[in-house]
Amino acid sequence: MGSPDFENIRIAARHEEGERVPLCEVLIEYPIQSQFLGREVTSDDLESQVEFWIKAGYDFIPLTVGMMSPGKVTDESAISKVIRDVMLKDTPDAEDQKSWNLEYTHFINNRADFENFPWHIASQLDFSKFYQISSLLPEKMKVIAVSGKIFTLTWMLMGFNNFAMSLIMDEQLVADIFRKVAEIQFQALEEIFEMPHVGAVWVVDDLAFGTGPMISPQAFRDHVFPWYREMAKRCHDNDLLFFMHSDGNLMPLMEDIIDIGVDVLQPIDPTCMDIVEVKRKYGDRLCLVGNVSNELLRSGSAADIEERVKYLIENVAPGGGYCVGSGNSVPDWAKFENYMAMRDATFKYGKYPIQL
Amino acid sequence: MSYLEEIQAAIIEGKHAEIEAMVSKLIEEDVDLNDLINKGMIAAMDVVGERFASGQIFVPEMLVSAMTMKKGLNLIRPLLKAEEAEPKATIVMCTVKGDIHDIGKNLVIMMLEGAGFRVIDLGVDLSVDDLITRVMEIKPNIIGLSALLTTTMPEMKKVIAKLEENGLRDTVKIMVGGAPVDRKFANMIGADGYGEDAAQAVRLARSFVVD
Repeated sequence: MGSPDFENIRIAARHEEGERVPLCEVLIEYPIQSQFLGREVTSDDLESQVEFWIKAGYDFIPLTVGMMSPGKVTDESAISKVIRDVMLKDTPDAEDQKSWNLEYTHFINNRADFENFPWHIASQLDFSKFYQISSLLPEKMKVIAVSGKIFTLTWMLMGFNNFAMSLIMDEQLVADIFRKVAEIQFQALEEIFEMPHVGAVWVVDDLAFGTGPMISPQAFRDHVFPWYREMAKRCHDNDLLFFMHSDGNLMPLMEDIIDIGVDVLQPIDPTCMDIVEVKRKYGDRLCLVGNVSNELLRSGSAADIEERVKYLIENVAPGGGYCVGSGNSVPDWAKFENYMAMRDATFKYGKYPIQL
Repeated sequence: MSYLEEIQAAIIEGKHAEIEAMVSKLIEEDVDLNDLINKGMIAAMDVVGERFASGQIFVPEMLVSAMTMKKGLNLIRPLLKAEEAEPKATIVMCTVKGDIHDIGKNLVIMMLEGAGFRVIDLGVDLSVDDLITRVMEIKPNIIGLSALLTTTMPEMKKVIAKLEENGLRDTVKIMVGGAPVDRKFANMIGADGYGEDAAQAVRLARSFVVD
């Protein structure tokens, strides 16, 4: 398996064959990390987290900075703290999750709400873990900064139906919220760029349903993609890779995603995308990550997982530009033995040149 | 362009700011209101549904069309004879226990309301027992169940079993939807229908009412 070396990810991102097919995840929930290490791993225990990502065979550790983490919105999310501690301060609602969690409710219905939102407090992001972790990393291991959620945060602040209709009926309001959210995310990037132990930025921002894009490709071009393009440019200017995560069927957006400057796309949603077709059409311009179905990780057998990983390595890894990973992230409801089977099969079959 | 074509175009193009003036003018001109609804508005929403299913338009455009139709319907409904003004059916909608995803459910609600149904949104993460209690109170014609997760889909089966246990199964039609749900699953759990998207859900609800 070797020591962690972020160069393995860089080689894959250049669509070249390195020594082996890398493993890559944006998130592995703590119960899985705990089972792997045989002791409890918590969100504050950076040392154990680093130990997990090294021993499990990854070349990096993903670390979140920004207003919202991937996965669930929790009371730990920066945006939740802003809503609870500022907007709902001294009200009984601050204790009720349905009053502050953006998965249940929303806060910006109109321009007045936008103007009154405590943006100045939302922009105070916490980088402490980024500084703490630098001394824990082996020399060639890097941090991938999970940041830059622009589309999802905007619609969650507005509520999806309100957001969708406003996109047509009050386009300027939506554009202004996108701008405000993007400015905060860009501010975070500037601090990240000063950290030599960060190797990439990973935007986790679902753009599509299983049936296709959540808004029209043109609306993405008008309101979202210009921000990503700028983000990719700034990453590249600072010698960082630019990763993107989105669930759903991205096929109608693939040319745009490449044109923006995305280096690595994850997870090529196995419920609605054919990764072999994606590789055939775009594999020379984009590194692909993932596609081991989460449903298979939950309900399949270890043999099913091995077979799937073998198939992916055989069909997607040759020539480089592929990393093995889940079809989203590794949730706590995945069978641990299946997570291990995905990892083991990658080591078993993923040595270049691929001989399957 | 006939008045029906004009009203169809207004809904398809989502002319939400103009629809009330257009419908008011047609009411003054004493057009057949049933034709206006059925041949004008509902026909337009069928086109919207087809364009959404084929990827020509997306959720925002579909929602604005549904809202445009609802605005028009709200002007017409008070003028209909009592029996015609009644909503076609009452539908309760929810996302099942353990699942807080509501984008799909809310889209379906907008489309159903646009199509003239009375829809009661019971929210997300709804337990089977709470749903049964509300069904007993509301006595809906249709229940719509949504789930985004493979881990919460089995709740749909529990709902149907509990309805049967309480002697309520034959009083309602059940439609199911959500990313991991498909027709095979709907059949397996004994639902009456499956909608792949919001437009299909409307067609399904209409078919239940005709039945």
